[in-house]
Amino acid sequence: MSERVVISPTSRQEGHAELVMEVDDEGIVTKGRYFSITPVRGLEKMLTGKAPESAPVYAQRICGVCPIPHTLASVEAMDDSLDIEIPKAARQMRELVLAAHDVNSHAIHHFLIAADFVPENLFATAVNSVSEIRKTAQYVVDMVAGEGIHPSDVRIGGMADNISEVARKKLYARCKALKPKVDAHVELIVGLVADKGLPAGLGVHNQPILTTDNLYGDRENFDLDRFTEIMPESWYDDAEIAKRACSTIPLYDGMNVEVGPRARAAKFRGFTEKGVVAQHVARAMEMKSALSKMIAILAELDTSAPVRADFDVRGTNKLGIGAIEGPRGLDVHMAQVANGKTQFYSCLVPTTWNIPTMGPATEGFHHEFGPHVIRAYDPCLSCATHVIVVDDEDRSVIKNEMVRI
Amino acid sequence: MVLGTYKEVVAARSTDKQIQKIAQDGGIVSALFCYALDEKLIDGAVVAGPTEELWKPAPTVAMTAEEVLAAAGTKYTFSPNVWMLKKAARQYGLEKIGTVAIPCQLMGIRKMQSYPFGVRFLADKIALAVGIFCMENFPFASLQTFISEKMGLDPNLVEKMDIGKGKFWAYTADDVYTLPLKETHGYEQNGCKICLDYVAELADVSTGSVGTPDGWSTVFTRTDAGETIFKAAVEAGVIETKAIDDVKPGLGLLEKLATDKKTKAMKVIDDRKAMGLPVPYKASSEKEDPLANI
Ligand SMILES: Cc1cc2nc3c(=O)[nH]c(=O)nc-3n(C[C@H](O)[C@H](O)[C@H](O)COP(=O)(O)OP(=O)(O)OC[C@H]3O[C@@H](n4cnc5c(N)ncnc54)[C@H](O)[C@@H]3O)c2cc1C
Ligand code: SF4
Ligand SMILES: [Fe+2]
Repeated sequence: MSERVVISPTSRQEGHAELVMEVDDEGIVTKGRYFSITPVRGLEKMLTGKAPESAPVYAQRICGVCPIPHTLASVEAMDDSLDIEIPKAARQMRELVLAAHDVNSHAIHHFLIAADFVPENLFATAVNSVSEIRKTAQYVVDMVAGEGIHPSDVRIGGMADNISEVARKKLYARCKALKPKVDAHVELIVGLVADKGLPAGLGVHNQPILTTDNLYGDRENFDLDRFTEIMPESWYDDAEIAKRACSTIPLYDGMNVEVGPRARAAKFRGFTEKGVVAQHVARAMEMKSALSKMIAILAELDTSAPVRADFDVRGTNKLGIGAIEGPRGLDVHMAQVANGKTQFYSCLVPTTWNIPTMGPATEGFHHEFGPHVIRAYDPCLSCATHVIVVDDEDRSVIKNEMVRI
Repeated sequence: MVLGTYKEVVAARSTDKQIQKIAQDGGIVSALFCYALDEKLIDGAVVAGPTEELWKPAPTVAMTAEEVLAAAGTKYTFSPNVWMLKKAARQYGLEKIGTVAIPCQLMGIRKMQSYPFGVRFLADKIALAVGIFCMENFPFASLQTFISEKMGLDPNLVEKMDIGKGKFWAYTADDVYTLPLKETHGYEQNGCKICLDYVAELADVSTGSVGTPDGWSTVFTRTDAGETIFKAAVEAGVIETKAIDDVKPGLGLLEKLATDKKTKAMKVIDDRKAMGLPVPYKASSEKEDPLANI
């Protein structure tokens, strides 16, 4: 006899989603479905008809968890549509900002999973470690990109300003000093995840991974021809769920995929493990890779070099692609500019890629492990979907039927 | 209190001969910044630095005494120093920022500090705000126009400008030109007509020429931070002081000019409000003290 276990909303993640698991008599998941119930992101529509410069300013506000990847994907898409070659130093600064954001964002995820893995007596240690790492990482984003949350200085054509030599040296010294702290932090997290003794094979699936670059993102490795997008109605074999699901299903080569730190580690760093533990380990280890990249860039950044290219804002309606490896995976923005205005804009955000893979990844284990599988992806639903309130008085939203929180 | 809230007011000047030579008045602004940089009380200061165009300043982050001195002297046109503060904290990586500002800029700075929208982590990094007195300021084109057309002088030959004793002064290498201030009226920016602050009431330390003899400055210490730094600079011998009561013309003139400015501005504010124009001040009928800077 099959029974349904429903977790709604799934917790300790950003945004709202639902996990519906069919379980057998033993409580083992036979069918897992995970879907977003955070409705409607209208952002792309708001951008059409506006000046291209508006795009990063709007796009970064898609989500407060990964504003940096959205900003970068947005300017990269615009750079591509407008055929801009950005200066080398600007590219280095963008890579620096993303690496710093990676460190910060992964540290935040360790807050979210602390209740799963950190024993009481180590709680303060873990929390302090996260705070210290975030402080330095966010300081770098503040300095280089203007603001830690909604960076004002990442611009189409490069960056608004180079940093001063004084700032470069200061950041370099601070990142160097952070290295032993990050090393200890990674060791702590990896150790605690191992100590938990999760069942071997939890979360393992056979879907392909999708990633374009070790840490930054490379549009050359994202082939739009291999990408398709289907509606939830033709994905979920449950009419009720299909109706309530709020995000489309993106496929690559016709298959649902996994994006994120484990995908990057597998493709670019020779990492072979799979499943929940592997995802946590890959995410933690990536903090080291990102920090060492930050240190390398800060060692060689030429602070007297130009950081902004001149460009013609009118555009030729070329479809520009910005592919950025955000902390949670590949974030693709697409833009077309003609007559100085954005004609088309679309975002394929990280968690949307993972959503169709996450449900089935719970299968074959007791449903009590379901939330562990979900949290291993560090899902962020806010950028996958967005609410538009149509009536401030009664808080009613468009397509109210989709919201069941 | 037409001179704002203050702890102490004195006559003062820099003891450094070089600063005395290049500064506008007593060299208080430059001396304070050099001292604060030396003592690491600030790690940089936003000043009105020189540009390719003579007399047209641009906000500049000075991190050495040389850079502070290169920006000495008054330029009678806009230098949007407030705009540079965020860059000083971000791209320049400063954590203790000094800045020199005219009264209206100080209003912006204090407002930004109390409501730091878009300037996260900046409010607490402003370690020393030195205010300079200000009766009015001129758009660059205005300045060029009355110097060249009314004074018949090429602005590029001018080595120092000053306002005092009812006149606008321009010094060339070997001559002194003057223009009665009423001849400059109409050239000032429109906003100055509703400005209620003459003596930089919101600064940590404010200073100007009026009240003290040539080569000396009038200095108000207004906040704890300002008082601490100023006293330390005096103690260290980089600034010398005299009691304000012992110098001519003294506080009386300052009080008179501040009262005149406020009285005139209040009339314009009241007139504009009566016409329904947006004015960022209260009308005199809404205030307990019509001359208060609110
Ligand atoms: C527009 C204007 C009007 C003024 N009106 C009066 C007045 O009516 N009565 C009076 O007593 N004093 C007035 N002053 C102040 C006076 O001219 C001197 O600047 C002040 O006494 C400081 O002199 P100092 O020798 O201590 O400074 P210095 O050591 O010479 O340094 C002056 C500092 O002011 C900065 N500065 C120069 N121009 C500007 C500007 N436009 N905006 C912002 N910062 C600037 C410089 O970068 C430098 O750091 C005015 C100043 C300005 C800018
Ligand atoms: S008079 Fe007031 S408004 Fe005008 S420049 Fe001076 S401080 Fe600013
Ligand atoms: Fe997000």
